[in-house]
Amino acid sequence: MTRFEPFREPPRALEGLKVVELPCLDTMAFLAASMAAKSFADFGAEVVKVEPPQTGSQERALGPFRDEMPDPETGGLHLYLNTNKLGVTIDLENRRGRDLALDLLAPADIVFNPNRPELNEQLGIDWRTLTARFPKLIVVSITFFGAESPYRNLRGGDLVATHMSGVGYETPWHQVTDPSNQPPLKLGGRQSDYLTGYTAAAAAICALYSRMTNGAGQHVDVGQWLSMISMIRPNLGFYSHETPDSPSFQRLSTRRKTGAQWVYPCKDGWVSFNAGIDRFWRGAKKAMGNPEWMDSELFDTVLGRAAHIDAIEAGVIDWLSTQTRAEAFEKAQAEHVPCFPVYSPAEVAGNRQYKARKFFIDLEHPAAREVRMPGAPCKFTRTPWRIVRGAPLLGEHNQMILGGRIGRSDAELAGLAAAGII
Amino acid sequence: MGTRPLQGIRVADFGWIYSVPHATAWLGALGADVIRIETSGAPDLVRFLTGTDGSIGANRSGIFHAINSSRRSIALNLAMPEAQEIARKIIRQSDFVTENFTVGNMAKYNLAYDDLVKIKPDIIMLSGTPLGQDGPLAASVGFGPTTQAFAGLCHITGYPDSFPCGIGGTWPDFAVGTAMVFFLLAALRYRDRTGEGQYLDLSMAEMVTTMMPEAMMDFLMNGRDQAAIGNRDESMAPHGVFPAAGDDQWIAIATASDDEFAKLCEALGAPSMASDPKFARLFGRLANVEELEREIAARTRVSPRDELVAKLRARGLAAGPVYSTLELMEDPVFSRSNMLVKLKHSEVGERVVPGLPVNFGAIDLEYRGAPMIGEHTDEVLTELLGYSAAEIARLKEAKVLI
Repeated sequence: MTRFEPFREPPRALEGLKVVELPCLDTMAFLAASMAAKSFADFGAEVVKVEPPQTGSQERALGPFRDEMPDPETGGLHLYLNTNKLGVTIDLENRRGRDLALDLLAPADIVFNPNRPELNEQLGIDWRTLTARFPKLIVVSITFFGAESPYRNLRGGDLVATHMSGVGYETPWHQVTDPSNQPPLKLGGRQSDYLTGYTAAAAAICALYSRMTNGAGQHVDVGQWLSMISMIRPNLGFYSHETPDSPSFQRLSTRRKTGAQWVYPCKDGWVSFNAGIDRFWRGAKKAMGNPEWMDSELFDTVLGRAAHIDAIEAGVIDWLSTQTRAEAFEKAQAEHVPCFPVYSPAEVAGNRQYKARKFFIDLEHPAAREVRMPGAPCKFTRTPWRIVRGAPLLGEHNQMILGGRIGRSDAELAGLAAAGII
Repeated sequence: MGTRPLQGIRVADFGWIYSVPHATAWLGALGADVIRIETSGAPDLVRFLTGTDGSIGANRSGIFHAINSSRRSIALNLAMPEAQEIARKIIRQSDFVTENFTVGNMAKYNLAYDDLVKIKPDIIMLSGTPLGQDGPLAASVGFGPTTQAFAGLCHITGYPDSFPCGIGGTWPDFAVGTAMVFFLLAALRYRDRTGEGQYLDLSMAEMVTTMMPEAMMDFLMNGRDQAAIGNRDESMAPHGVFPAAGDDQWIAIATASDDEFAKLCEALGAPSMASDPKFARLFGRLANVEELEREIAARTRVSPRDELVAKLRARGLAAGPVYSTLELMEDPVFSRSNMLVKLKHSEVGERVVPGLPVNFGAIDLEYRGAPMIGEHTDEVLTELLGYSAAEIARLKEAKVLI
């Protein structure tokens, strides 16, 4: 006889962990803190997001908004970055508000704090105070330059971190032909904010493993600048190994095109394409229909091809001009050559690969109604990434957390609300 | 005394190129025993990308050394069944298996997840690929920088009204590698609590798309297909890279409010610009952004970069120099930061390489120089797997070990 198992939601990897995300009260890397806390929430940790009363967290004020109508409950960034979080409002600049926040931190495992070190000290929520008061707590500072860096109180952000890291200097990659009119370029969107978020998430879970060995929390200092510098590490490697006259070292001192770019124009748009190593070169030759020019012995080795990259790129662009993105993608991949269409966001949203893997997810949100958004950054077979609740309404969980969890009476909460503290 | 959080954890690491090796460098620094299993059939091409002091060789790549710290290397010919058996013996004593080959490669070596759970039921395996393990395009090959085209990032990276751009720093490989650390340890925590391992299927493209919510949400909510806007921002102006005096010298400036704009104008010696009705409010600055940028550039290009940066920072503005890597290495704070570590490599000696970008208050990070290819083959076979010297000699003779 068939036994029917009762339906059970799949388990969640980080079930049981308690995380608190503090609001940014000035201009620090709040998107990074939001992304870090989202990473924990989406894999099952209980994340309490603390927001300033009335205004809410800063991403609520950023677009995109539906039909360009600003609404703190339905902004795209808020809906995306705050999935699975519980929302409470607390005025951290008020002493009674801070007492509430400290009560929240007492049972927490991890706190993400995206405030300026100076301001943290003024408010008494700096990492020294917090780690001393809560010896098991993992205090993750998320700042522009590092909470202990000599640059700690400087202003930064996505633009400044990208350009001070060396990544902006190399972007666009080998497409600069007129340096004075093509300045160094930042990446689309706010890549360094989200990178810093993932860096903080990784670092926080490392500290959790540290706590398993000795029971103690610690301060984890995550900065946007070093997080971005970590992305340029190949350059740091050849800087310390090569001589200043080597070709790789030379590349560090110019933005001007000297080598193969990553993307090329084709018949109906652009594709990425790379035939650098021998295997790819042989594949590209077949994909392109064995044109005669590719038989030149100048192109026989990786170094030979690097030395004659102009001639090779001219030939590749010539071929691509007869191919659509789809044709180039199909023909190159059939010969195992790295090549992908350059897709716009609309094409990303509609592509069949993401659809087949159910990458985008739909959820119902009380204020925003039906919302579609990017889903799992990684598919876990046993403890899948999933949304159990949409982004919180402002103060939605005040009663549940401040009343139920930390035991403030209804009368007290009413008083705090009347005073604008929650 | 700090902790070594992952002491006792072992990683059978088949990763190559950038993303997975970066992830396992974190795990190694945290005390895990990372055993990098290299194959003669497909040596990591990064081993030959650049060299040391002018000469190239399998153990001379500065890039390889910058990415592969804190691990051991064993070199096997994985095409041979006996080599696969050695790999399986390592995996039996491991907690993680990590790899980023093209879909199907591990199966060719009889080392797919389905093979491995039979011999190590609680193994945690992570595979990183361009587009994931299933779906119609799963077989696609690519590096991170080619794959991000598919994810939408090249389209929104570029100068306004211009062409899509490739990104420096071999983006997104190291971003993906960093996130992998989080995924692996999340899975380990679940295993610690329940005894159950699992398989993690990471698509680089999907990972990249999770980092572009502005553009994706705008399309999904409004049907608006965003294009590249250079260094600009939709909610700040000026927000850009401006020329400073000298050749190819640039300064990045982000202005978050009208008040900051007034400070910027004052610092640039043009206080009247702050009250110009075209520019006084954010709305006007966004509407007249090209004219605004020309006005700013005309004033920045007369000043030496670092002087101007200091002036703007003194006023609390978000400004910084645009660094090449060479200039970054001379930054007084970065060049002394403990992210740069001096490690000993068996062939090229002591060199400075980047460590983790994070400072931990109570963890002793354990950095060891990158291994030569197969440097620890004998050690791993003897100490971990209990092979005798005679057996090892035979396996070398048979070209199972390289």
